[in-house]
Amino acid sequence: MRVAIAEDSVLLREGVARLLAESGMDVVAQCGDAEQLLAELGSEPVDVVVVDIRLPPTHSDEGLRAALEIRARFPSTGVLVLSQYVELGLAMKLLADSAEGVGYLLKDRISDVKEFLAAVRRVAAGGSAIDPIIVSTLLSRRRTDDPLERLTRREREVLDLMAQGNSNQGIADKLVLTLRAVEKYVSSIFTKLQLPATGTESRRVLAVLLFLRN
Amino acid sequence: MIAIAGVGGAGVSFALAVAGEGVGVEMGEPLVLAILTACLTLSYVLCGLLAWRHRPASRFGSLMIAAGFINFASTLVWATRDVPYTLGQALDLLPPVLFLHVFLAFPDGRLRGRSVQGLVAASYVTAIALELVRMHFGDFGPRNLLEGHANPATAETVRQVQLTLVSVFCLAGVGVLASRRRQAGRPLRRSLALLIDAFAFSLVMLAFLFVSSAFDGPWVAQIRWATFVTLALAPIVFLTGLLQARLARSALGDLVVELRADLAPSDLRDALARALRDPSLDLAYWLPEFDTYADVDGRPLDLSDLGRSRVTTLIDRNGEPVAALLHDTSLQDEPELLAAATAAAGIAVENGRLQAELRARLDELRGSRARLIDAGQKERQRLERDLHDGAQQRLIALSLDLSLLEERLAGDSEATTSLDRAKREIAISLEELRDVAHGLHPAVLTGHGLQVALESVAARASVPVRLTVKLDGRLQERLEVAAYYVVSESLVNIAKHAHATSATIDVARANGHVVVEIVDDGIGGADTERGSGLRGLADRVEALGGRLRVWTPHGGGTRVKAEIPCV
Repeated sequence: MRVAIAEDSVLLREGVARLLAESGMDVVAQCGDAEQLLAELGSEPVDVVVVDIRLPPTHSDEGLRAALEIRARFPSTGVLVLSQYVELGLAMKLLADSAEGVGYLLKDRISDVKEFLAAVRRVAAGGSAIDPIIVSTLLSRRRTDDPLERLTRREREVLDLMAQGNSNQGIADKLVLTLRAVEKYVSSIFTKLQLPATGTESRRVLAVLLFLRN
Repeated sequence: MIAIAGVGGAGVSFALAVAGEGVGVEMGEPLVLAILTACLTLSYVLCGLLAWRHRPASRFGSLMIAAGFINFASTLVWATRDVPYTLGQALDLLPPVLFLHVFLAFPDGRLRGRSVQGLVAASYVTAIALELVRMHFGDFGPRNLLEGHANPATAETVRQVQLTLVSVFCLAGVGVLASRRRQAGRPLRRSLALLIDAFAFSLVMLAFLFVSSAFDGPWVAQIRWATFVTLALAPIVFLTGLLQARLARSALGDLVVELRADLAPSDLRDALARALRDPSLDLAYWLPEFDTYADVDGRPLDLSDLGRSRVTTLIDRNGEPVAALLHDTSLQDEPELLAAATAAAGIAVENGRLQAELRARLDELRGSRARLIDAGQKERQRLERDLHDGAQQRLIALSLDLSLLEERLAGDSEATTSLDRAKREIAISLEELRDVAHGLHPAVLTGHGLQVALESVAARASVPVRLTVKLDGRLQERLEVAAYYVVSESLVNIAKHAHATSATIDVARANGHVVVEIVDDGIGGADTERGSGLRGLADRVEALGGRLRVWTPHGGGTRVKAEIPCV
């Protein structure tokens, strides 16, 4: 698996590169800014990029713009955006109309090595990785006539993990459930929330996020 | 008193004329002359009185009264007794010279210029001294008590010289008036010109009369009548001028009424120009900090270089100059009008100046407040950035290192446990740092604008929030920051005090303003001064020239509306 990294903090960039390399990934590019990253991508196919949302020169929105550009220009390349703050608005902007091959995580998640590597792999494979904070913000959002109240506690846990981009197997592993049980919960959730059943995992991520957002 | 004396004097003149000459109706000349002389006396005494009352400071009125009484005294020539006759005769030529004096002393009773003073002095000498010389040489017959050495031929020569000289002086007076008329300015030109013309015409008639009588020309009697009529009319013309000045004072009343309204500087100039009937009038403001006068638009003015037809009248308050009127020279002839107008304008100008000063200070204050908030904001942004690039990054890298170490020490459970604990500590520190940094400055705002930043704020709110942001593109950063805090602080207030079940947030651009409105359905009655943070919000909004309003009726929810101009 070929990975490119764009992160202006050398310390962190090298740490992430080492982490990814040690887990057997091929880190083909380490860049300090978005321009360099885009140049590297143009010359070399990459499965996934890990990009900091604040990059030089202005440290405002360069990383996000680069991520959006990569999504448009290299649809087969997964984009995992890292940030010191996760913002719901930015997540929605980044996802736009598809959660396929997109990740948006708090930078702190790096140190949970297993989870982080799983997220990188998921995004590289066209899946999604949405930070738990985003999902919990959406889940705890106050609503009048809240449809989430119709869910059981277990169903809410499943919904939470589902919205983060986990596969049914991933959810089953985390909650120590059988795959069949998870599938049952998922279908129950979709029925209770009156969501149409969707095919891929990334599609259901978007559907769930959009549902929770409104 | 003086009026009665004047009327009495006129009556006496008339009586003397009638009794002395023993006139019959058929004797036209003495009767007509008596009536005209009486009218002349009355005209000067009464008009002089009015002028005196109107302008006590001016000597012009008293001069006119004096002319009237001397005119009466000269009629003593009609007396039957020798002493008054002699006295009247001695004063016989004094009235025309006094009229000359009066005309040249207009308007303030003073003779301006050495040549004019010399002219009048010479006229007096000619009128009195040569009259006495004539009397000495036995002119005016046997009742002349001053007769010394009768010599009719010499007396006749002196008479001709005297009358000719007076004529010449009168004509010289006409010349003086003509030059003054040329200098008279625009606004008073009509009334002044008429008066000066009346004076000049009287002098011409006098000169003509004296030349005719010196050389025994024809129609002397008729010329005398006409001259008297002309002379008597001059004060009437003067009175008309006075009346007009009074009308001008009523225009002053209008001015004062206008000044009560809040006048713009250019309107003040126009109001003054109307009241003073000088369309050329200009208003100059004194700028103490620049030590100069300036016009309404702030351009410096040099008051020393105005040309001959314009002069300056200073307006001061408490001894300090506040402004100056640049006006037509002729306005100086109406000093009370000018004084009243400048007094009225002084108040208005001072008022306007204070307002301008207040506005300037307010602008300065607003500017410094905005700069303070800007500086504070910049400092907070810098701190957030330092935290982000420094401590936060290092802690994350450290945590990552610990994770890698943990994997390597996978078999050593004691080591992994303490590493795990260390990582948890780091995670807590990171969270705390993140809160601090976010509190310092919401970085997402700088990078991605109001809509994106508010989405998280609304999602985290304690009540369901409907957020509508209608902005085309980004706003100035300080506006975004202010709008962001208005929303986030209002949501904090709603969480703490409102007991609301829902809220709406609307952000839109309207009429060059960003309008931010937060409405909840809570209990209302919010304390807008203490504890709610609304005061701080108002400061922030007002520093940007905006306005924050809060409607919070008891039981009726709370509405916070901020309008900030997009510069």
